[in-house]
Parts: sequence; structure tokens; C-alpha cells
Amino acid sequence: MKWKNHQFGEFEFDDDHVLTFPEGIIGFEECRRFVLVNDEDSRPFHWLVSVEEEGLSFPLIDPRLLIPEYAKEFGAKEDSTVLVVATIREDVERSTVNLRSPVVISNVLRTGKQVIIDSDSFAMEYPLFPSTHQSVKG
Amino acid sequence: MLVLSRKLDESIMIGDSVVVKIVSIQEGQVKIGIEAPKDVRILRREIYDEVNISNVKAAKGSKDAATKLAKMLQKQFPNAERNAQKP
Repeated sequence: MKWKNHQFGEFEFDDDHVLTFPEGIIGFEECRRFVLVNDEDSRPFHWLVSVEEEGLSFPLIDPRLLIPEYAKEFGAKEDSTVLVVATIREDVERSTVNLRSPVVISNVLRTGKQVIIDSDSFAMEYPLFPSTHQSVKG
Repeated sequence: MLVLSRKLDESIMIGDSVVVKIVSIQEGQVKIGIEAPKDVRILRREIYDEVNISNVKAAKGSKDAATKLAKMLQKQFPNAERNAQKP
């Protein structure tokens, strides 16, 4: 299928690669179908790109880059891929990731869900560059 | 909004499968017990709102800023390639 996204332009995707989010992404519940785009230039980010809404995409990153034990800590199943949503600010050093509500993708069912961990120990705005972030803040 | 009065230990049914029960009432705080199927998401409203705001911000993330950030991250996490999952 052909699709157009405001950031990635026109691209083609295979129907088999569509990830279905039965509950959507929190705040964007009406969008259920996404593809995961691996863009060379912005690696290690992956992009969850809506194939229903041209202007919608979320940058995601593997939380293990930041916290090696992350997936284990919140008890993810082995056949799932866990990615966290990144908030990339124009002042890029202040960018954060949301460890509190990861996106969990079932590799077998090709479905996804944004879960919310019911624990304060996972930060909603975890800085990608801790020292810089603190100095900016304080 | 539907408003119902309930006393301690009384409950409310929502649909066939969700039961909301008043478990305790103390000093301006109400404890609520909820029985619901596993696939029903139960959240404190303020957490949902926070995630919502966070997602709205994340959706504004531009590819250009991400590319800039990616270069910095590749320096910070030189093993990114090896560790990264291949979704």
C-alpha cells in the first residue's frame, strides 16, 4: 500500500507489516494502524508512523540503550518488543523518554499497546542526557 | 455525568462485567475496589492525562531534531547497534 507522511514523504508498506493498536496510542485513540519505520539518519530512533493520519508519528527508542534491565523490570513477555516514546525537543539535549508508558508490540500477533506502569519508579520524563538536563533545570 | 450516591460496602455495576465498590471512607478519602476483565484499562485520571500530554509533545518530534540527537546518542552509546532490538 502507498502512504504519505508529513515527515517521511511517500512510502510503500506491506499490509503484513502493519501493527494494529486496538486501543490506539493514549490521546490518539482513533488511530489504530501503524508501521514501524527505521530511518537510517535518525537511528537509533524508530518511528511509529500512523497509516491513517498523515501528520502522526512518534519517535521510539529501545529502552535497553538507557537501562539494560528495563524490560525485565516491568515484566515484558519474551515474544514482545518493548520501545519507549521519546520527546525530542528542539533543544535536543533536553530530550526525554517516557519510561512510565512503554509501547509493547507482540511480535507474533503484530499488535501493539501503550501500557502504563503503575509505579512511580519509572519516570515519565527520563532525560537522555542526565547531567545536561539537571544543569539546565537547576 | 451520571452521579450516584453510595454508602460504604455498596457498589455500582458498569455493563455486565465491571463492579465498582466503596471499600472505605475516611478523612476526605474514598477507597474504591474495582473488579473488571483484564483487558479493561483502569487508571488514575491524572496519570492518563500526563501520558496524553507527553504523547502530544512526542508527536511533535521532528525527524531533523531526531537526526541531530541521533548523532549525539551514537557517541554516547557506541554499542547501540549491537544492543538494539530489531523489531
